[in-house]
Amino acid sequence: MYQIPRAEWYDLTRATNWTPSYVSEEELFPEEMSGARGIPMAVWETYDEPYKVTYPEYVEIQRQKDAGAYSVKAALERDAYVDRADPGWISTMMAHYGAIAVNEYAASVAEARMARFSKAPGNRNMAVFGTLDENRHGQIQLFFPHANVKRNRQWDWAHKAMHTNEWAAIAARAFFDDIMLCRDAIAVSIMLTFSFETGFTNMQFLGLAADASEAGDHTFASLISSVQTDEARHAQQGGPSLKILIANGHKEEAQKMVDISIWRAWKLFSVLTGPIMDYYTPLEHRSQSFKEFMVEWIITQFERQLVDLGLDAPWYWEDLTKDLDTTHHGMHLGVWYWRPTVWWNPAAGASPEDRQWLEEKYPGWNKTWGRCWDVITDNLNNDREDLTLPETLPYICNMSQLPIVGTPGDGWDVKDYTLEHNGRLYHFGSKADRWCFEQDPVRHQEHQSLIDRFLSGQIQPADLPGALAYMGLGPGEMGQDAHNYAWAAAFKKQAKVA
Amino acid sequence: MAAFPISSNFEGDFVMQLIPVDTEDTMDQVAEKCAYHSIGRRVVAQPDKVLRVRMHQTNENYPRDMKVSEAGWRPTETLDIIFADS
Repeated sequence: MYQIPRAEWYDLTRATNWTPSYVSEEELFPEEMSGARGIPMAVWETYDEPYKVTYPEYVEIQRQKDAGAYSVKAALERDAYVDRADPGWISTMMAHYGAIAVNEYAASVAEARMARFSKAPGNRNMAVFGTLDENRHGQIQLFFPHANVKRNRQWDWAHKAMHTNEWAAIAARAFFDDIMLCRDAIAVSIMLTFSFETGFTNMQFLGLAADASEAGDHTFASLISSVQTDEARHAQQGGPSLKILIANGHKEEAQKMVDISIWRAWKLFSVLTGPIMDYYTPLEHRSQSFKEFMVEWIITQFERQLVDLGLDAPWYWEDLTKDLDTTHHGMHLGVWYWRPTVWWNPAAGASPEDRQWLEEKYPGWNKTWGRCWDVITDNLNNDREDLTLPETLPYICNMSQLPIVGTPGDGWDVKDYTLEHNGRLYHFGSKADRWCFEQDPVRHQEHQSLIDRFLSGQIQPADLPGALAYMGLGPGEMGQDAHNYAWAAAFKKQAKVA
Repeated sequence: MAAFPISSNFEGDFVMQLIPVDTEDTMDQVAEKCAYHSIGRRVVAQPDKVLRVRMHQTNENYPRDMKVSEAGWRPTETLDIIFADS
């Protein structure tokens, strides 16, 4: 049967639009869902997505990707890699699945919003594929860890985490709800696909795939690569939206959306990806430090993309660059110290060799974070594990929903950025976190951080065990040191040899 | 007497912490309650120093015998707890 060549019909179908007659354009595309910002339909029809694919092509490629990833999983299942992998790497997978899998499903809702409500036909077309992508990502990243539920209850948190009030889950939801689920279609294309996916998921997935291969986890590496190739495609939906907004007098708003999303994504990555790359991944398998990765992917490459589009680097770019030396070390120490409050087993990554690597990558580490780890190490080596476990809660930022951290030891500079708004005192971990709040206080003012919930009596009994119960963490789920303190014992051995 | 929540920013530590104090506590007692969650856990004790309390990001210490109820703090106020010579 004769088929019309693709080039002859593709542009027509991808840009199909129509003039509504039974309802008004406003009823068909409500502003709060579409976010056209007064720009006429004819302009949105010029939206030109750089990556084009037809449905038959899409289905064929996706089938191949799934077949590849699922085959690798099936082939390696008997190898039981998980049973012999470094515990730090197991923690990486547990943290990743819990924080990401269900949010992928939420992302399919965000994509569906663009597919239905964007006034740009090209955006709607691409977002249909994006919806299918994200649905697949949710499924595959639940199916793979499910094979390990028989090993440990913590694996179940791949599905459970986002349905609980565990603090990291609250932080992830607060961010993803903001940029994916509570924005109009055009804002989603910019805040989710351009800012978050172009900038950060590239890093999460490329970096993790490299580390997974290095660690010999070919199942996880093939899964991650399979997801990443979809991200690379559908992340391109925001660029054309930005071009239209900038060309039609909305540069300031476009810039603000990008700035908010990048900052919030950075903070989430500082607690999730930073510890994974610099502490959990076994030393011999670390391909780059977190800072090196951030500089390459965010500071250099992403900034170039912003400039190419006619935007500026975010106003806090200098602060972010400085924070690459500090924030994730604090987040890691916090996660490790408050380890019963997470669903994975944090690897301390503070053995003598680890510390040497950290000092090399982050000069001054030993005199700052190292000072805290010195005390922790001494306590462990003197049978005072009790002093390495928390008895209160860390103070939480009202924007990132993460602990307010800073540099300890000789460079002590922990700072709280407060704001009194409508009679309530808000606390923020940085100037940029406070700025995000100030751009739209109504959006955020009612949200209660874990501390707010604790103080308002929602957590009973009002103590740490009560907080753990509130977070849904039962026995066998609460995090412990991934290596059972072998890294601390190494200092003892070192002292004996000396 | 009433429980009063503060945010403790302890010198040398890396994180702010929620500390419940009492409106009748003196500043020395506030410092002691904050120290319990930092000293010997992530911060080395300095026996030759005393701990002083001051409003976050200021330089003036509160009198050691001043009570919480006299300080005019808002609930969850952030306080710096610092090592001082006296």
